[in-house]
Amino acid sequence: MHRRNFGRLLAAATFALAVTTAMVPAPVAAQTEKTITGGFDVGPGGFPGNFNPQTATAGFTWLNTYFEPLVIYTSDLSKLVGALASDFAVGEDNLTYTFKLVETNWHDGKPFTSADVKFTLELAKNAESGSIFAARLAGIASIETPDEHTAVVKLSKPNSAFLSVLSQVMMLPEHALSSMDVKEIAKSPWWSTKPVGTGPFKFTKYVSDQYVEMAAYDGYRGGRPKVDRLINRYFANPAAAVSALSAGEIQFTFAEPDDAKTFKGNDNFRVIEGDSYVVNYIGFNHRAGIWNDLRVRQAVMHAIDRNAIISSLFGGAAKLANCGYVAPQLVPKDLSDYAYDPQKAKDLLAEAGWEKINGDKPIPWLTYYNTPQVANVMAAIQAMLAQVGINVVPRALDVPSYNGIVRSEKWPDFPLVYAGLQNGPNPASLNVGLNAAQIPPAGNNIMRVEMPQLTEALNTAMAETDPAQADAKWQQVCREMNAQLPWSPMWVASRYGVVSGKLQDFFWTPAPGGGPFVSHPEKWDIAP
Amino acid sequence: MLQYILRRAAVGLLMLLALTVLIFTLLRLTPGDPIDAYINPSVPMSASDLVVLRTRLGLDQPLPVQYLAWLGAAVTGDFGYSIQRGGEPVLPLVLGRIGPTILLMFSGLAISVVVGIATGILAAVRRNELTDLSLSTAAFVGISSPAFLTALLGLYMFAVVLRWVPAGGMLTPGAPFSVGDLMAHLILPAVLLSIGHGALIMRYMRSSLLEVLSQDYVRTARAKGVREFWVIVKHAVRNALLPVITLIGSTIGIAIGGAIFIESVFDWPGMGLLMINAVVRRDYPVIMCATLLTGACVILVNLLTDIAYAAVDPRIKVA
Repeated sequence: MHRRNFGRLLAAATFALAVTTAMVPAPVAAQTEKTITGGFDVGPGGFPGNFNPQTATAGFTWLNTYFEPLVIYTSDLSKLVGALASDFAVGEDNLTYTFKLVETNWHDGKPFTSADVKFTLELAKNAESGSIFAARLAGIASIETPDEHTAVVKLSKPNSAFLSVLSQVMMLPEHALSSMDVKEIAKSPWWSTKPVGTGPFKFTKYVSDQYVEMAAYDGYRGGRPKVDRLINRYFANPAAAVSALSAGEIQFTFAEPDDAKTFKGNDNFRVIEGDSYVVNYIGFNHRAGIWNDLRVRQAVMHAIDRNAIISSLFGGAAKLANCGYVAPQLVPKDLSDYAYDPQKAKDLLAEAGWEKINGDKPIPWLTYYNTPQVANVMAAIQAMLAQVGINVVPRALDVPSYNGIVRSEKWPDFPLVYAGLQNGPNPASLNVGLNAAQIPPAGNNIMRVEMPQLTEALNTAMAETDPAQADAKWQQVCREMNAQLPWSPMWVASRYGVVSGKLQDFFWTPAPGGGPFVSHPEKWDIAP
Repeated sequence: MLQYILRRAAVGLLMLLALTVLIFTLLRLTPGDPIDAYINPSVPMSASDLVVLRTRLGLDQPLPVQYLAWLGAAVTGDFGYSIQRGGEPVLPLVLGRIGPTILLMFSGLAISVVVGIATGILAAVRRNELTDLSLSTAAFVGISSPAFLTALLGLYMFAVVLRWVPAGGMLTPGAPFSVGDLMAHLILPAVLLSIGHGALIMRYMRSSLLEVLSQDYVRTARAKGVREFWVIVKHAVRNALLPVITLIGSTIGIAIGGAIFIESVFDWPGMGLLMINAVVRRDYPVIMCATLLTGACVILVNLLTDIAYAAVDPRIKVA
C-alpha cells in the first residue's frame, strides 16, 4: 500500500473521530453566585428522593435546611432546645406540653401560627396520611391553640420520648395542605415541586435522581443565608460521592471509614469524626432454640476479642459497648466487661451442653451491612467463635431482603444476625427493639427477646419524664442487658463526614437518621 | 403481508403480557417488599405504622389481585406512583429516562464503530507490523478488561486526578442547560462504554479485511492499476464491512447492558440507574413500567427486523 494512500485513509479515520469529539467544549464556567453543593443524602443519615418529612426515616440533615421542627437537638445531641418553639414547658402532670411559638413566616409569606402546629401534629398522628410517626404520637390526647403563638399538647399518659420524637416532626403549612385528601397527601407532587417551609432555604428545583436545589430565603428570621444556593446532589453510592468531593465538584459528603482515612492530613479537606449512635451487636434469635442458655450467650461474649477487632479493623475508631448504650450517663460502673477469655467460653459451652444443643452444625449469620470493613469484622469473629466450637457462616443481604426475613417467622433463616440499633440521643429508642411487647408484628423486637426483668426496666424508664431521674432508670436497662445478654453488644463505631477546606462555618454531626440538630445552614459559607 | 404483521404484533403483545407476569412473580418471590426497603434496620420503627403503609399501598392484597389491579390500570396508561419517591408518577419518570440512555448508548456505539473500523483497517493494511501488533494488543486488553474496572479506573484518572471531565451526572447541578455541559459529562462514560465493543469491532474488521484483501478481485483491481487507497476503500472495505455490520447490529443488546452498568458508576440518569435504584428499593411500580417499556422496545425491534426480512427476502413465508 502506498504511504500517501494510507495517509489519506488515516486522515479519513481521524476526521471521523474529530467529528465525534469536536463538539465537546470545556465545562461550564463557575457560577458567580455563592453555591454550596453537597452529598447531604449520602450514607446512613440520608434518604434520597423522599421529600415528605412525615414518611422519611432519615435524611433530616437536608430536610432541616427548609423545614423546621418545634424542638431540635443541639449540635452535640446532648439536649433539646427550641426551634419553631421559642420556649416550651412540661406541666407538673407530665402530660401537658406548652409551646410558645416564634414569629416567622412560611416561604410563601403566610404567617406561621399555632394552627399549623395543630394541623401538622394531627396529620403526623393520622396513619392514613402514611406518616411513620403515627404510633409514636398516638399518645396525644388533644392539641389546643389558645392563641396564634401558643400550642398546648396533652398526652394520655407520660412519655419520656415524646419531645425526642417531636424533634423529627417538621412543621407543615396548613394553608397549603389542608385542602388535600389525607390519603392522597403522601402521593402529592407538592413535596417535590413547591413545598414551603420556614427554614433558611426555600425549595427551588428537583431533578429526579440528580439533585435538589434551594435558594436563600431572604425573610429567614435568623438573617439571610450567606450563600445564595444550596444543592444536594444524589449519588449511587458513597464512593461516587467521594470521587466528586475529590474532584472538587461537591464540598461535603458522608464517607466510609476507609475513604475518610484518605482525606486525613490533607489540608484541602476537613474530616469530621463522631459517634454513630448505633450499637452493633450479635443478635440471638430467641426463638431459634439454640441460645436459650445464658451460658451460651456469655460464651459468645468471652470468645470474641473485641479490643483486638476495634484496634485492628476499626483503627481504634469505635467504643466498646457492654450494653445497648455508650453515653456515659446511661452506663453504670458495675457492668461485666466480658473480657476475652476463650477458655472460659469453652468451659461455659461445655457446662451448657453445647454439643447437644448445636455442636459444630453451621449457623447462618445474617447482616445487612455490605461494606468491606464489616465483611472483615465478621470473618474475624467467625474465626474466634470457631476456636471455641461455634460454627457461624456469615451472609450479607440487601436491606429489603434482610428486613423481609427477620420480620417474618423464618427462624432457621436467621438464628444469628450482625446488626445495629440506635442508642441515642433518645435512650428510649432501644425500647422498640427489646421490649417483649414489641415483638413483631406489634413492634420491632426482631430478635424476639422476652425477658420480663428487661421489659420491666424498659417500661419503668419509658414512663419516667423527670430528666434527673431518667438516667438512673436507663442505667437499670443497661444493667439488665449486660446481665441477661438479649444480644451480644459489641461496639459503637465512629461515623465520618468530609468537608472541603473552602467551606466556612459549616456544622455537621453524624446524627442518627441525619438528626435534625442545630446546624445553622444560614451561617454556612464558601470561599471563592 | 398485513396478516403476517398483525399475527406478529399479536404474538408480541402476548409476549409482553407473559413478561409482566414473569417479572411480577419473580419480584414477589424475592424476600422483602417496599415496606422492608423503607425500614432502616438501625432505626427503631413502629411496626403498626408500617402495617398502615402496607395497606395504603395495596401490598396486603393477594398477588393475583395486585397483578390484575396493576394490569387494569396499566392498559389505561396509568402505571401508578413510585413508592419510594414520595409519590412521583411512574410513567413520566420512566419516559424521561429513555432519552439519556439512548444518548449514552448511541454515543458509545458511534465511538466504538468509528474507532473500531478505523483501527481495524489500519491493523489489516499494516499486518504484522508494529502498528498492527500494538493495535491488536490494545484490542485484546480492551476485550478482556472487565467493564467495572475500566469504568472505575477511567473515573479516577480523568475525573479525580486530571479533572478533565466531571465525575458524574449528566448536567452540572444548578447550571443552565448547555450542549457543552452535556457533552463534557457525556464524553467519559461514552468512551468507556465504547472500549469493549470497539475492540471487538476492530478484531472483526481486521480479520474480515485481511480475508477480502486476499480475494481475486482485489488482485485484479491492483493489476488494473487502481491506486492502493481506492483498492482498499472502494473494493475491499465495503465488502469487509458486511460481517462487521452484522456484528454491530447483533450486539446492540450488549451495548444496552453496558450502558446500564456505566450509568450506575457515573450516576447517569438513564433507565439503568432508575432500574437499579428501583430494584434495590423494591419499587415495584417503577420496575414493572421500566421492564414493560424495555421489553416493548426489544419486541418492537424484533418485529421490525422480521418484517424487514420478510419484505426483503420473499423466501421467508409470510402467509
